[in-house]
Amino acid sequence: MALQTAASIENLAVSVYTTAAGLPFIKDGNKTVAAFIAKTTSQHQAHAQAFNAAATQAGGKAQSGPDPKYAAVVKQMLPSIKGPGDVVSLAITLEDVAAQTYTSYTSKVSDATLRKLFASVAPVEAQHRATLLAVQALLAGGDASLIAIPTDLAKLPAAAGSVGFPDAFYPTKNASPISEGAVQ
Amino acid sequence: MHAAAAGLTEELRDTRPDAAGVERLRMGSRRGFLLGAGGVAAALALAACSSSSTKTSSSGAGGTPMASGSPSPSMSSMYTGDLQVVALATALENQAVGAYTAALAAAKAGKLGTVPAAVGTFATTAMAQHADHAKAWNAVLTGAGKPAITGVPLSNQPATLKALGAATSAGAVAQLALELENQAAQTYLFATYNVSSAGGIATAASIAPVEAMHAAILNFVLGQYPVPDDFLPTDKAASPALLTV
Repeated sequence: MALQTAASIENLAVSVYTTAAGLPFIKDGNKTVAAFIAKTTSQHQAHAQAFNAAATQAGGKAQSGPDPKYAAVVKQMLPSIKGPGDVVSLAITLEDVAAQTYTSYTSKVSDATLRKLFASVAPVEAQHRATLLAVQALLAGGDASLIAIPTDLAKLPAAAGSVGFPDAFYPTKNASPISEGAVQ
Repeated sequence: MHAAAAGLTEELRDTRPDAAGVERLRMGSRRGFLLGAGGVAAALALAACSSSSTKTSSSGAGGTPMASGSPSPSMSSMYTGDLQVVALATALENQAVGAYTAALAAAKAGKLGTVPAAVGTFATTAMAQHADHAKAWNAVLTGAGKPAITGVPLSNQPATLKALGAATSAGAVAQLALELENQAAQTYLFATYNVSSAGGIATAASIAPVEAMHAAILNFVLGQYPVPDDFLPTDKAASPALLTV
């Protein structure tokens, strides 16, 4: 069930990022943000495939649907999305849930191969979140032009150097229960 | 102390007097831990870094985990089994704290030119988090009746210090820091499926994402894509063979 729930979180992330990529203020907006969304979508697709492959290898069913709890949250938030900042905020929520969930699952599964899988994905979701937190801070500070690779390092506000990693230990209090996204 | 580290301390304390328990904590038939030169050494192309203590690492240019057996240095180390991994983790954290401390001192002394404000806050914040990690791991060591590790007993430390001393720009320091962060994150990833104690797994799992986040910001600072891998690899993970205690 843990693998199906993980796949459901990935499926939802893919759906949200795909929708976001089509929004005019993303599609015609900051090129670095658009490129990040495209790359992140493909990474979540790779994660979903990996989780589903492990699920079927273990004799279970692949999960093709989204996590029901957060799908409802997304549905509720979508109408209020008016700009890049709203998209980034929603994405941060999803990335954090994913990272917390896989961090939690790493110590819950007994199979070393599955631990490796969860533990190799959690840091990637955390990196997505770190990047998004930095982007969010730059957007909030009116520094959208600094959202670029490479950026103008000298002009980056001091907070941009630390806003991306708020916790010394990655929390798990918001991790999804193992059964949350199980195939019904 | 971090909750998972506290749990690990309890596990180790419970098993300490019992020979069977000690054996349980050893990696035993599990794949041995990591081999290979430290990521920092590889990245900086400092050949001397890996020559003295990683004889068995020569087959893996990037630090490929070995296929079987336990790392030979553990035979003479006061830290064995899971505690060897904890000792390695502590040393890596101390190494990072020391590197950031030295970098901030060099910046203050004007040795790195103009240091962007974001780089300064990055170093200060990351350093504090690494100190927290070291504190958590050291609590595990002392809870298990072993000495805390306050220095950097790693064979690649001289090369790291040499590279730090040679840095003349914030970018050079950021590149070195990136190698340290990647090494730490990947070491913890490998630990999650190679240590036997639940507390050790949980602690490593909770720190790996944080080191990876440090790496993401450093990549951004260096003008590189912040999330380069779909799955965190282990080719830059550190080997317990780097430990000198």
